[in-house]
Amino acid sequence: MTLLLVGLSHKTAPIDIREKVHFPQARLYEALQILTSQPTIAEGLILSTCNRMEIVTHAVDTTCGLDFVRKFISDFHCLPEEFIHPFLYNFAHSDVVRHVFRVASSLDSMVIGEPQILGQFKTAFNQASSVGTVGNTLSPLMHRAFHVAKRVRSETGISNSAVSVSYAAVELAKKIFDKLTGRTVLLLGAGKMSELSAKHLISQGVKSLLVWNRTYQRAVDMASKLHGEAIHPEELFRHIERADILICSTGSPGVILKKSDAQRLVQLRRNKPVFIIDIAVPRDVDPELNKVNNIFLYDIDDLRHVVDANLRHRQKEALFAEGIIHDEVQSYINQIQNLEVAPSIVSLRQHWDSVRQEELAKSRKRFGRLTTDQEAALESLTQGIINKILHGPISEIKSLGQDPSAAQRIKAIKKMLGVKN
Amino acid sequence: MSILLLRLTIGFYSVGLLHSFLSIITRKKTLFRVALGGIWAGFVCHFLSILMAWFESRHPPISSLQGVLSFFAFVIVLAFLLSYARYRLESLSVFVFPLAFILTLGANLMSAPNQPYPEILRSLWLYLHVPSIFLGYAAFFVAFASGVMYLIQENELKRKRPQGFYYRLPSLEVCDELGYKALSIGFSFVTLGMVAGALWQPPWPLDPKIIASFITWLTYTVLITYRFSTGLRGRKAALMAIAAFILVLITFVGTRSQGSAHSFIQ
Repeated sequence: MTLLLVGLSHKTAPIDIREKVHFPQARLYEALQILTSQPTIAEGLILSTCNRMEIVTHAVDTTCGLDFVRKFISDFHCLPEEFIHPFLYNFAHSDVVRHVFRVASSLDSMVIGEPQILGQFKTAFNQASSVGTVGNTLSPLMHRAFHVAKRVRSETGISNSAVSVSYAAVELAKKIFDKLTGRTVLLLGAGKMSELSAKHLISQGVKSLLVWNRTYQRAVDMASKLHGEAIHPEELFRHIERADILICSTGSPGVILKKSDAQRLVQLRRNKPVFIIDIAVPRDVDPELNKVNNIFLYDIDDLRHVVDANLRHRQKEALFAEGIIHDEVQSYINQIQNLEVAPSIVSLRQHWDSVRQEELAKSRKRFGRLTTDQEAALESLTQGIINKILHGPISEIKSLGQDPSAAQRIKAIKKMLGVKN
Repeated sequence: MSILLLRLTIGFYSVGLLHSFLSIITRKKTLFRVALGGIWAGFVCHFLSILMAWFESRHPPISSLQGVLSFFAFVIVLAFLLSYARYRLESLSVFVFPLAFILTLGANLMSAPNQPYPEILRSLWLYLHVPSIFLGYAAFFVAFASGVMYLIQENELKRKRPQGFYYRLPSLEVCDELGYKALSIGFSFVTLGMVAGALWQPPWPLDPKIIASFITWLTYTVLITYRFSTGLRGRKAALMAIAAFILVLITFVGTRSQGSAHSFIQ
């Protein structure tokens, strides 16, 4: 019996292949049942998302299992086998454990560290358990994978930096203001872009929203839509000091905020910081403003740079995550090995202990009465001999582990030592 | 016994020191939990060590340089644990743990005092004077560290090219708030300590430390009133907290004469 995984992902297959082998939700139960209908596959689980398709199985034999699963994929999707083969990868034994851990921890994702994959994996597992196609082998593996994914998330910074421009802006705001609850946002320009950013900030707990637009009516419309307050075109500089965060996206050809305005603004705000996000092209705010103390100005390119830096940061963190995965795979493999060979070791020990007891019982008559000390010495002598003899075979069994021929060799060792199977 | 406990303390604090180094070179979140455990254990040992030293010599262990270093390290760790309880700032530990380690190491390397306890130090005012001043200085150290963190984080935000520090340091708001709180608390304690000192030794001898303390105190008074009245904050406040702490160092370290805190103590 062996672990076996066949799949494809955004790394091996383009979108037009991925969509052809996608298992739709409605047919998943059917697919799971077909997958496990033959004795070749004891347990099976299907993960199918837009970026990957993975079939994790517990198969009787690697070659038979591989052929069966490949055929299953092409038959199920009515595709010729040669068509999809070049895109498929497959893993066996401990490589399955590693791959599953890496996928669940989002190290194999298109955007490293994106959190959705863990949820998708959990759903796939729940579906398989409700049909009853996962059992003693895949169930513990998946639970361990979820645990590893959680560990990676909490012990590395793999998923705590923003990788989209709008979320990067929210994150920058948090690096300045810590919490956004109770802050005020001013939208300069009532366009689609500013509406989106505003919604993002409102969901983070921003208290009040001001909207300013050159056409007053548009400001009023947007303000009523977002439960904000519209500002009259003439009165911008009367209200601007209330804003902690400014989002600028007007169509104005020239700058609206000059450096001299900013210096006055900081004075009026008694040095409280202002975060200005200028997503307008051409820009609404003089770039020189960033040099003013307590003003932090980011234009659209700056935000993109932050996103790039965050992606690089995630990649760095992924290295730490790989270390965690490595350790976890090792310990999981050891654990299942010990579980598998434990009965053999117990039976060896039991057998030889009973041999020892029998021999002792026979000889005891000849010894006559023994003192407690002599009794103890006899015990430790015989026990010691048995331990010495069994030490070699037992360490050999422990080291065999996941080796496919392990079962055969363990059988041979047991036979040599007189244990019946 | 107190010495033995002090040795144990340095052992525990070295875990914190190791954390500070490693968190600059690599980063692993689990390390901090271990280091925090070490610091807590060290803190308890340290407390017992100071109590034992008091019990063994039957006077507060503040007359020798060894006692002073040990006590100051203890107060610094206390200040860290209090700020950590409130703000959960791991980054502060990078500043605090090495300082606590070095001070405790200094105390460990010095022999225990065996001179008689000066008569002049037997005063209840003194027992208030020394701890208050030390608590105040420890708080000023926290204000200094917050100032440094503020400047680094501000620089990251202004440069718009986030690197390691951007991800690990707290927000500007938190640095600023912690700096302000530490400043206020430190100022209250130092003021209390100076009043106690004045009541302990009238008429006041003209001692370099007293003069330096007074200058330091005036600087912090100006800093606090300025912050309070004009809303000074952010970069300038951080710079001033750092500069003022250099004065504290001069007062605390630079004016020691012949191994005793004040020139009039023989």
